[in-house]
Amino acid sequence: MRGKVSRRTVFAFIGPAVIGLAMVGIAPLLYAGWTSLHFFNLTKLRRVKFIGLDNYESVLTDPVFWEAMGRTFALLGTALPLQIVFGLGIALVLHQPRLSLLKTLTRLSLVLPMATTYAVVGLLGQVMFNQKFGVVNQLLGGVNVNWIGDPNNAFIMIIFWDVWQWTPFVALVLLAGLTMVPVEIEEAARLETRKWWTVLRYVQFPYLVPGLVAILILRTADTLKLFDMVFTLTRGGPGSSTEFISLMIQRVGFRGFDQGLASAQAIILLIITIVLAQLYIRAFYKEV
Amino acid sequence: MYVNLFSMEETMKRIQVLASAAVAATLATGALADSHAWSLKRAAEPYAGTTIDVVFLLRPGYEAIEAMLPAFEEETGIKVNIIKHPYENALGEQVRDFVAGGDLDIALIDLVWIGNFAENEWILPIEEFTSNPDLVDPDLDIDDFFPLVLNAFGGWNGVVYGLPFDNYSGLLFYNNCMLEAAGFDGPPATWQELKDVYGPALTKDGKYAFALQSKRNETQSADSFARVIWPFGGSFLDENFRSNLLSEESQAGLKFRQDLMQYMPDGIVAYDHAETVNAFAQGDVAMITEWSAFYSTVVSPDTSKVADCVAIAPEPTGPAGRKPALGGFSLAVASQADDDEKAASWLFIQWATSKANAGEYLQRGGVPARHSAYADPALVETFKFIPALVESWQDGVPEFRPRFAEWPEITEIVQEWGSKIMLGEVSTEEGARILGERMEAVLEEAGYYSGDKPLAQ
Repeated sequence: MRGKVSRRTVFAFIGPAVIGLAMVGIAPLLYAGWTSLHFFNLTKLRRVKFIGLDNYESVLTDPVFWEAMGRTFALLGTALPLQIVFGLGIALVLHQPRLSLLKTLTRLSLVLPMATTYAVVGLLGQVMFNQKFGVVNQLLGGVNVNWIGDPNNAFIMIIFWDVWQWTPFVALVLLAGLTMVPVEIEEAARLETRKWWTVLRYVQFPYLVPGLVAILILRTADTLKLFDMVFTLTRGGPGSSTEFISLMIQRVGFRGFDQGLASAQAIILLIITIVLAQLYIRAFYKEV
Repeated sequence: MYVNLFSMEETMKRIQVLASAAVAATLATGALADSHAWSLKRAAEPYAGTTIDVVFLLRPGYEAIEAMLPAFEEETGIKVNIIKHPYENALGEQVRDFVAGGDLDIALIDLVWIGNFAENEWILPIEEFTSNPDLVDPDLDIDDFFPLVLNAFGGWNGVVYGLPFDNYSGLLFYNNCMLEAAGFDGPPATWQELKDVYGPALTKDGKYAFALQSKRNETQSADSFARVIWPFGGSFLDENFRSNLLSEESQAGLKFRQDLMQYMPDGIVAYDHAETVNAFAQGDVAMITEWSAFYSTVVSPDTSKVADCVAIAPEPTGPAGRKPALGGFSLAVASQADDDEKAASWLFIQWATSKANAGEYLQRGGVPARHSAYADPALVETFKFIPALVESWQDGVPEFRPRFAEWPEITEIVQEWGSKIMLGEVSTEEGARILGERMEAVLEEAGYYSGDKPLAQ
């Protein structure tokens, strides 16, 4: 039975949430938009002035910005497929019948990497990948690989940590998708074919698509704002080899104190994130 | 070569004259005729119960003063609230506090921040306090500070804002045992000798002759990039504030660094102070050029395997002479503090940098900037870095890194392109060209080329 609800009641229920969201989300965004249109350097506040789209022009024509963006997408393009492959493999194993105790323990252990604070992961990495006394080189047979001081190795190290931390998330989301497949349909499919690939492609995959889209959106957004782990591990170095876009924005805004330019960079990043999210939804989600 | 509007000597004289005059004028008023009457306890009486906030770093000099602090608090009743930050966070935290009108009552100022802090009027000239006979210690003795240090760390445009507190000069720390084993009876006198003679002889069996901390932060700018351009006659800027990094001398310094890297550990571009000092303390590196503040770390058996082998010399000379790295911090009263906090802050700064406390500060791991602290021959025996330090403070360059307000932006550019040069991603010429263009863009925006701002550091 549906009764008429007054506007006042509706506002009383959703108003606080809307106001809260506006204060913590919308207002800072609007302020960033305002800042991005000004020369706004924290150490030169007497010279704040409206400069129109100059900051945006500076960002869009700055090769360093695009290099950082390219580096970020290189990380995304490398780490995300690995996470999906490994995550799907883990999910398929955990979806098998039997071994229920082992599966329960595995599920619990999958949560640990995700529960580890990003910054702590970076600090752990500093120790584990230390060239001289790090456990990684010892596990590799006492090799003398310079992980943190070599640009290529440092990038590989970041990929490793990202995959380590987020593969479990992908696995759990995909496992949830697999459990959505009706048992009778899956059993019928397995009677029709013994090829696991065929079952996966035509029976299970459609149920995985919503989860995959969520993974794509969330991991893309996460990678674009990846900061803590890299900051504590390499601080963007050596050189610029691990300076991803969020580190660059932090550097410009909080070490160079150019809040106007950093705001313009952040807003461009936000636009790119929104566009990518829309593309993912349009490209994949309609198949469900 | 960089030429300031005022010669270094002239600037130092002006600062000393102004500061001394302020103190002298106070004394001349007769208000302090009975100077024995002044005591810290009496001066602090009106401010007992006041709490002052200050940022400290996680370094030996700060631990030293923190250990001495109970005596100050007991005598004055002033509570000092210390907020600790690693160096990399200290500037940002203070800038945000001053912009927001926060709680900090004392500014901790790296020498490259002084122009920024002074131009924004976040700090007060010491004259505001030295002119008050109730607050000025008759034994303040401004002239006792090393002029170079007082000028570089606490002075800006002829006005003294801060008193030198945590004071460094670059020194050559060397492992005498490794050098003797390789047939050397002393450290290299020149950078060229370090590279051409000591480098090949000491780089073997997994050990390296030298490590130059070059991580992409202020370390890259101050400890690595600047360290190689000045001794070779180079500089960041010329007399017109245009980039001087493509000059023959600057290029010689940058190319020297590239050549020297063959005698440094792999991944030196990822070495910060901690890694460099640790490599030396573990006996993996024979020589480092580091701040005097790390002396206590490398000579303590608790933190150094080579404590008994450590010897210290001034940094090697280059074709342009000895131009050692200069760095350090002063303490200044923040303008945002209220009147009681300002007075209490001044009393703390005056006490922390006083002649009377310099000896204990030194004993506890700090490095005072007072002549008188180093006059005792017994101290020279105990602290082996003293002769080299005193010598370095005679030859230093105040503009080792430009001290103007634009340095935070410029250092980011130096860090980025200095690292790229070291990694071989660009040549020294290409890197210097791009770096120079970007540096000039910042200076143009600031108004140096249009005449809006004087060409002063």
